[in-house]
Amino acid sequence: MNLPTTLSDLRVHGEHLLQFQVLGSTALRVQRLRNERKLGALRMGPDDVLAPPPRALARMQELMSRHYLEGRYANGVRKVAWVTSGAPWEPLEALGFFPVYPENHAALCGVRRRAEANCEEAEAHGYSRDLCSYARTDIGTVLSGETPVGRLPRPDLLVCCNNICQTVLYWYEVLAHHFDCPLVVIDTPFLYGEAQEHQVAYVRRQFDEELVPTAERVAGRTLDERELVRVMLEARDASQLWREVLDRSRHRPAPMTAFDGFLLMGPIVNLRGRRATTEFYRDLLAELDARVERGVGAVAHERYRVAWDNLPIWYRLSKLSKLLAGRGVNVVASTYTYAWGELAPLMDPTDPLGSGARVYLHPILNRSTGHKLEAMRTMVEGFSLDGVILHSDRSCKPYSLGQIDQRDQIVDTLGVPALLLEADHNDPRAWSEEQSVNRIEAFIEMLETAAS
Amino acid sequence: MHDTIPSRSGALAVAREQGRAIVAVLPYHYPRALLRAHRCHPIEVWGPPFEPGDLGALHFQAYTCGIVVKATSFLVREGFDRVDAVLVPHGCDALQGMGSVLGDFVAPTPPVLTFYPPRRARPADRAYLVEEIRALGRRLAEVSGHTPDEADWAEALAAEEAADAALADLYHRRGRLDVDDRRFYEVVRAREYLTAEDFTALAASLPEHDGAPDADGDVGLLLSGIVAEPLDLFDRLRAMGARVVADDLATGWRRVYPPSTLADPYERLADRLLAAPPDPTLGAPLDARAGLLVERLRASGARGLLIYDVTFCEPELFAVPVLRERVTAAGFGVLHVEHELGTTLPNQTLTRIEAFVETLR
Repeated sequence: MNLPTTLSDLRVHGEHLLQFQVLGSTALRVQRLRNERKLGALRMGPDDVLAPPPRALARMQELMSRHYLEGRYANGVRKVAWVTSGAPWEPLEALGFFPVYPENHAALCGVRRRAEANCEEAEAHGYSRDLCSYARTDIGTVLSGETPVGRLPRPDLLVCCNNICQTVLYWYEVLAHHFDCPLVVIDTPFLYGEAQEHQVAYVRRQFDEELVPTAERVAGRTLDERELVRVMLEARDASQLWREVLDRSRHRPAPMTAFDGFLLMGPIVNLRGRRATTEFYRDLLAELDARVERGVGAVAHERYRVAWDNLPIWYRLSKLSKLLAGRGVNVVASTYTYAWGELAPLMDPTDPLGSGARVYLHPILNRSTGHKLEAMRTMVEGFSLDGVILHSDRSCKPYSLGQIDQRDQIVDTLGVPALLLEADHNDPRAWSEEQSVNRIEAFIEMLETAAS
Repeated sequence: MHDTIPSRSGALAVAREQGRAIVAVLPYHYPRALLRAHRCHPIEVWGPPFEPGDLGALHFQAYTCGIVVKATSFLVREGFDRVDAVLVPHGCDALQGMGSVLGDFVAPTPPVLTFYPPRRARPADRAYLVEEIRALGRRLAEVSGHTPDEADWAEALAAEEAADAALADLYHRRGRLDVDDRRFYEVVRAREYLTAEDFTALAASLPEHDGAPDADGDVGLLLSGIVAEPLDLFDRLRAMGARVVADDLATGWRRVYPPSTLADPYERLADRLLAAPPDPTLGAPLDARAGLLVERLRASGARGLLIYDVTFCEPELFAVPVLRERVTAAGFGVLHVEHELGTTLPNQTLTRIEAFVETLR
């Protein structure tokens, strides 16, 4: 935390203390307790197609709301880093940075139906509609200042890691131009096969020569190795717990849906490396275990179990969830949510930067189309799936290119139906309700035919 | 001057006669001399524009870059049968998808090689690139059965650097050359497939004006983008009273690699790639690129920047608003148009370009 040295600093720190630490946090805690009581009291009615969401959802909402609330008052109190969702966060957490994940913020805009307006703002400034809708939402927010979280803090540092796509390279160049602040690029060669030593060494060297020195300079302090180890330990434990949470849906009936997972993943993406995040996932896991023990399923009558590939369609989460659940379909697994859990075994707290180089090379989005097919094959077997929905996301080309062959292979070699659903993760203008629902209905009929 | 530039098929036959393995190379940064030292010859695949995209569309969605869709079609239809390997440099998410799908699912008889150039030019990037070039060299040795010795390296570096120098010299002499834009770019793009010697001879054969060039009334443009197809574009620009006085094309100036003095061949190749003109696919900082474009607009006598992008090209599209802002602030006109890779130019596109040229008079 920056220490106040002027009157202006004192005012900024005072606001942070009063508005965030005292008033805001207290109000959010009270709200969470109320929500927990409400969720705890909910019972599934005879006409409900979905069980009440996990009670832990209230805690997740508190964590995320608290995070965005602090963001409003962060400038001048904490150094702020805007980072990509696959960026090596742990050294920055250990240096005390406040994180902003523009992708997460964009998703939030999508869920709250604010993404379209922000996309249009970016388009009005010349950004093509063919660009990623997360990027357009974010750039639109930067240009207009419009956000459902009140205010996003200005970055002191930008960290872009292209292990999720090349798009972020160009997107963060635009941000660097706008904010005129340092940009650290962590370049992670795409893995067409197994990682080679020179690729791992390359990423590690960028940590040592670029990320840590630049972050230290901006933070005005030196990275404490013990703090980094502690953060890495928390990050590993939380990632492992998140993976176990997702694995609970191997049970039949599954205690949660992938749609729950899309919301519950907020802390592992945004708040990795903090004790509160680890505790949150520990509590969530315990709640799911209790559900499993009682035989409570997330979908009232789970008849078919499917996987979701690619990003969610944020502006249709609830509708899609209900549409599928109403027909007895539970989306029990997702390649997307696993991305923040499957790398836990690679995290070694005794060698945070060394193991981090491997971790940040291996997200599913930085691996081949064949590897992704293998991941889906494993899910089909491990989760006893009846089908796969592949969201062909025009805004996420690295995730989507390859899906035509993947779908064909799933159908031909695994013998389960697979649907290629055309949409866009954040731009509702790319969504065709009638056409999409028809395709989903046809897919469900295929599931029924295959089952009979 | 050569009246007819040899075709890709002709160049392929010549390389075969020389005992070289043929490698189909996708766009667009790769260490060409490495291939030669390994007795391979690159024939670049940029679509081609006339190729129907039907076979590519069996693998890629409609929102995929036309170069990738058409190149996949072309390779599946006939290309794989004519080459010994395919090299897909990683230039963007679309090429990444292509390299991965070809290797994992299409799985043709010729091996699919990949090459990932770094997105910055720091010491770590340099060290990585040297090793990445070595790794590609090992794969090429498997393709051709030849591992280069010192003499191979000397010969390959001399030939390819002479060809690169000839390309740079074309740009240097551009204002004095007695050829129209279409001819100029036909020659520039012959570097995509001719042997180094044939390209060097071709470039040297372009005639120069006897006196001062007669282009006073023309509107000079700086053309930016990936690929200026179809080549009719240049004829139409001439008919509008415009000419291209400089470019920022992936098929042009972006591959005018400066020379290197390093002795080790791998370090030398890396050194030259890293010194390439600012290029979004190599992660060039946007502000630096915009600043250099403004300088080049001033130096070339261009009156405006024509950004001519293939649809769905994220590396190019992201930069447009900032380039527009910087170039306009410097007093130059800017027009951005997108085109589907093909053999015809839509009238709507031509009308927009014509109106732009008129505003610059």
